[in-house]
Amino acid sequence: MRIPEFVQAVKRGEIDIVEHTHKVLDICAHVNSEYHYFTAITQEALQRAKELSRRKEKRGVLWGVPVSAKDAISVMGVETTGGSRILKGYMPLFDATAVEKLRDEGAIIIGKTSQDEFGFGSFGINVGKGYEISLNPFDKRRVCGGSSAGSAGITQKLDTHASLGESTGGSIVNPASFCGVVGLTPTYGRVSRHGLLDYGTSFDKIGPMAKSVEDAAYVLSSISGHDKADATSANIKKEAFHSFVKKDIRGMKMGVIKGSLENADTLVQKGCQEGIRKLEEQGCEIRTIELPITMKYGVSCYYLLATAEASTNLARYCGMRYGTHEELKGDFNSYFSDVRSGHFGKEAKRRIMLGTFARMAGFRDAYYLKAAKIRTLIVNEYKKAFKRVDALVSPTVPKLPLTFDEVKRLSVLENYMFDVLTVGPNVAGIPHMSVPVSMQKGLPVGLMLMTDHFEEGKLVQIGSKAEMQKQ
Amino acid sequence: MKFDSDIVIGLEVHVQLDTKTKLFCGCPTKGSDEPNSRTCPTCLGMPGSRPVFNKKALEYGLKFAIATGSAISKQLVFSRKSYFYPDLAKNYQITQYELPLAKDGFITVNGRKIMLTRAHLEEDPAALVHPKGVGKSAYVLVDYNRSGNPLLEIVTEPMLRSPEEAREFLRELMKILSYLEIFDLKDGIIKADANVSIQRTGYARIEIKNITGFKEIEAALKYEVDRQRTEKVVTETRLWDSERRVTERLREKEAEIDYGYIVDSDLPMVEITDQMVEKISKEMPELAAAKMERFVKEHGLAKEDALVLTAEKTLAELYEKVAKHVERKLAAKWLRRELMRVVHYNKKELHEVIVDEGNLIALLGLVQEGKITEQVGQKLIEMLIERPFDVKAYVKKEGLAAVSDTKKLEKYCKEAIKENSKAVEDYKKGNEKALHFIVGAVMKKTKGKATPKEVNEILKRMVGR
Amino acid sequence: MEITKQTIQRVAEVSRLKLSESELKEFVAEFKEILDVFSKIDEVNTNDVEPSFQPVGLKNVLREDEAEKCLTQERALSQTRHKQDGYFKGPRVI
Repeated sequence: MRIPEFVQAVKRGEIDIVEHTHKVLDICAHVNSEYHYFTAITQEALQRAKELSRRKEKRGVLWGVPVSAKDAISVMGVETTGGSRILKGYMPLFDATAVEKLRDEGAIIIGKTSQDEFGFGSFGINVGKGYEISLNPFDKRRVCGGSSAGSAGITQKLDTHASLGESTGGSIVNPASFCGVVGLTPTYGRVSRHGLLDYGTSFDKIGPMAKSVEDAAYVLSSISGHDKADATSANIKKEAFHSFVKKDIRGMKMGVIKGSLENADTLVQKGCQEGIRKLEEQGCEIRTIELPITMKYGVSCYYLLATAEASTNLARYCGMRYGTHEELKGDFNSYFSDVRSGHFGKEAKRRIMLGTFARMAGFRDAYYLKAAKIRTLIVNEYKKAFKRVDALVSPTVPKLPLTFDEVKRLSVLENYMFDVLTVGPNVAGIPHMSVPVSMQKGLPVGLMLMTDHFEEGKLVQIGSKAEMQKQ
Repeated sequence: MKFDSDIVIGLEVHVQLDTKTKLFCGCPTKGSDEPNSRTCPTCLGMPGSRPVFNKKALEYGLKFAIATGSAISKQLVFSRKSYFYPDLAKNYQITQYELPLAKDGFITVNGRKIMLTRAHLEEDPAALVHPKGVGKSAYVLVDYNRSGNPLLEIVTEPMLRSPEEAREFLRELMKILSYLEIFDLKDGIIKADANVSIQRTGYARIEIKNITGFKEIEAALKYEVDRQRTEKVVTETRLWDSERRVTERLREKEAEIDYGYIVDSDLPMVEITDQMVEKISKEMPELAAAKMERFVKEHGLAKEDALVLTAEKTLAELYEKVAKHVERKLAAKWLRRELMRVVHYNKKELHEVIVDEGNLIALLGLVQEGKITEQVGQKLIEMLIERPFDVKAYVKKEGLAAVSDTKKLEKYCKEAIKENSKAVEDYKKGNEKALHFIVGAVMKKTKGKATPKEVNEILKRMVGR
Repeated sequence: MEITKQTIQRVAEVSRLKLSESELKEFVAEFKEILDVFSKIDEVNTNDVEPSFQPVGLKNVLREDEAEKCLTQERALSQTRHKQDGYFKGPRVI
C-alpha cells in the first residue's frame, strides 16, 4: 500500500497503527537476522505508535508510517555510529532536522540501517569493524550496493515504509538500483544536513528511498526546507512534490548521456531501453547529450574533493568526547593514533589518507585546487545541458547487482570507477533519481534521471511515468 | 633577510572579540564559569553538528579593518586548519587562510607606522588545565566554554625594534580596540605569539608561543632578547613560562605541521560590499586621533594633555562629561594629573574604578570657584576614588572651605614671619626656597585651606622684597 | 608523481593512523595506481576557471548575535566516561 492510501486508512480507523507497528517490527527482526539491514531496531517505536494513536488532531501526512534511517543520520537517544566502531555507544543529544520533520508529520522511526562505514563504499561491503554486511533482497549471494545498503534492502522487503538514505557520490541511487526501489537524491541544500554525520561537506545530501516515486515525493516534501542550524540549507519554499505525479510529460525533452548506455552491460542496456521506450511512448523526445569532462574526470574530481573534506570531517573521531574510548595512556598523539587505527575500517583509513594527501602542502594545488576547478567545469556542463533538455537519462550503474565474489576481485581503483555514472550529478549537486524499470534474469535494473538544481518536481513528474508498475 | 635594526620583533596577536555569542554557535561568551556549562553540539564538535557565522563578529572585524586603514577582502571565506590537539573540538580550527578579512593596515606608534600584514577571524580552542603542571600530568582536563569564542588575529610585519616598542604597539592596539568597543578591556583576553631575532645570531627566527596578557608579552620579549644575546641560539619554537619567567624550547626540530588547509564548505562565502563597509564606517565611534585633534582645536587644550586624555576611551569620555560643567583646561589638568595619579597609586586602571561623576564635577566646581584649595581638592579626590560621598556636604561639615579672608591670612602671615625669622633673613638674602618654607608654615596654620598663591603674595608684600 | 613509502608514512602520521608494514606496502601500491588515473586531471585546461567549493552558489548566510540554549554540564559530558570534576579528560600533552 502506498503511503497516502495507508495514511487515509489509518485516519479512517481501518488500520490500527500500534498493531501495524508491532507487525512491522517483527518482520524487521526476522528479515534482519537473515539480511542484516539494521544496525538498530528501535523498540521505542511501539511507545511512539501508542502516543500517536491517542492524538486526534494535527495528524501529519506520514501518520503512522514506519520509517527507517541510515545509521549516519542522528536519531536522539538511539545509537548512531555511521556504521563505524569508532562511534560505538554514541547516543546523539539531538535529532537530525530531517528526522525531526518526519516526527512532526507523524512518522514512526523503526530503526537505523546498515551502511558502508561513514559512506565509504559503492557495494555495502565496507562495513565498520564488527558490523554485518547487507545481502541483496533478490539474491543473497549478491551485494545491496552502497553506501545506503540497509535502507535499500529493507525498503524492498517491507510494504508501506520509506527510508532516509544519504548520498555523497551516488549512495542513494546506486543501492536503489541494486535493490529494485526508488531512490531520490535531492539538490544539495534542499534537505538540512544538521545531524548528518559528515562525509563530504559540499556533497552530502539526505534523500528518501521508497517503493514508489509518489511515496518518495511525499517524504521529500516532509523533510525539505530551510534550517537555521545548517548554513548550507537552501532558503526556498517548501513544495508539494507529489503533485507532480499527475502532471503529463508530453513534449518534454530527455537527454541520454553519451557513453552511459554503451558502456553498460548488455542486460542493463536492455532494461534501461525499456524505461526509455516508456517515456517515448508518453510523448517525450529522446536526444543524446555529451558530457565529456564529467564522464572522463568526474570520478577523479569526486574522490579528490570528497575525501579531502572527509579527512577533516573524520579528524574529530579520536576517542575523546563520545564514542569508543580507550584507556588514557601515552601522549595525545599516540592515544589518538591508537584509537583511530584500532577502530576505523580499512576503507575509512584509505579515504582519510587519500584526502589528507590531496590537501597536503606540495600536492594541494595539483589535486585539491585543481579538482575544485574541474568541479566548476562539470557544473557548467550540466547547466549547459539543461538549456537543451528537461532531464538527463542514464543507467544508474553499469552492471546488474554483483556477487560478493565479483566485488572481491575488484581492485580499489575499479571500485572507485564503478561510480562513473553517479558521481557527476553528486559533484554538481543536481537532483537525481533511480527508478526500477525492468527485471533482467531476476535482478533489478535502475534508470537514473537528472534535472537542474531545485527541479525535483520534474524528476517526480518524469520518474513516475518510467517506473515499473506494482500493485 | 636584511634588517636595519639590532632587534627585530613581529607579533601575532589574538584578541577576543566582545560579542554576546560565540563565532559559530549561539553559546554565550560570558556567564557561568562552571566548566563545560556554556557549550552545545557545535562547539563540542559532536557528530553532525555544524557552524553558522555570527554577523556581529563580521561587523567588529570590519570596524577594525576600517580603523587601521586596511584593504578589505571582497569575499569572506573560512578555511579549516587541521591539526590534532586535545583542546581542538573538531581537530581542525575554522580560520581564514587564503583570503583574510583585512590586509596591509597599520597602527602608528610614536609617529612610526607599524604595518599589519593581515587581520582575520578565527575560533578559539578550548581551555586546558594541567592537573600537575605542563608535561607532568598523565592527562589533561578540558573546558569547552572557551571553544568557539570569536578571535581576531592581527599579524604585524617584523618591524618592531624593541620589547618597549612592542609594548607601545600593544598599548596603541588596545586603545583602538577599546575605542571601537569591540573588546572588553576588563575581562577580554589578549594573547600573542612573537617572532624575535637579533643581529648577533644573523637574525635567526625564534618563535615564542602563547603569551597571555599585555604585561606578560613585554616580559617575555625582554627575557628572550637577553637570552639571545648571551646563549647559543637555534631556530626553534619556544614557550613562555609565566611562573618561572623564562622561555623554554617547545619542540625538537620535529616535522613541521602540515595544516592541509581546505575551504570550509559548511560556511557559504559572504560578500563584503562597499555599502556594507560604508554603513559600518558611518556607525563607527570617533577614534582617539580624531578626538585628540578636536580637544586641541575646539577645546584649546595643550597637545600633551589631549594625548593623555585620549589614551583611554574611558578617560576621554569622562573628560567630555566633566568639561560640560567645569572650565575645560581645569578639567583637563585635574583629570590627567590628579585623578590618574590616584587611580595609578591604587595600582588600578581607570576602567577598573567606578568614578562618581556627579561628585567629581562638584569637587572641580569648588576648585574652580576657589572655594577649596588645590591641596584640599587633591585629598578629596583620593577619598572619592575609594568611595563615593557628597563632596559639598563634607566640605561644609569639616570646614574645609578655603580661607579667603585676607585679614585672617595676613594675621597668619604675620605670625609665621615672626616665628621664622631665620627663613625671612635667608629670603631677604636671595634664597627663594626660604619663602616656600614660610608659605608652608602658613599652610600648616590654615590646615591647607589657604591658597598658596595668595599667601605667597601677602608674604612678599610683608617682607617687602 | 612519485609515491614512495615515505610519502605514505608521512600521510599516515599527519592523519594519526598507525600502519603495519604490510598495510604500508599495500597503500603505496594502491595510491600509485589511483593517483596515476587521478593525476590525469592535469590535462584539463583550467586557466581562468574559478574553483567551486560548493555546487549551488550559496552565499551570505549569517546569524544574529543572540544567545541560544546551551547544554547542561551533565548532558555535555554524558557521552564520555573520560571526565572529572565537570571537565572532559584527555590524553596528556608533551
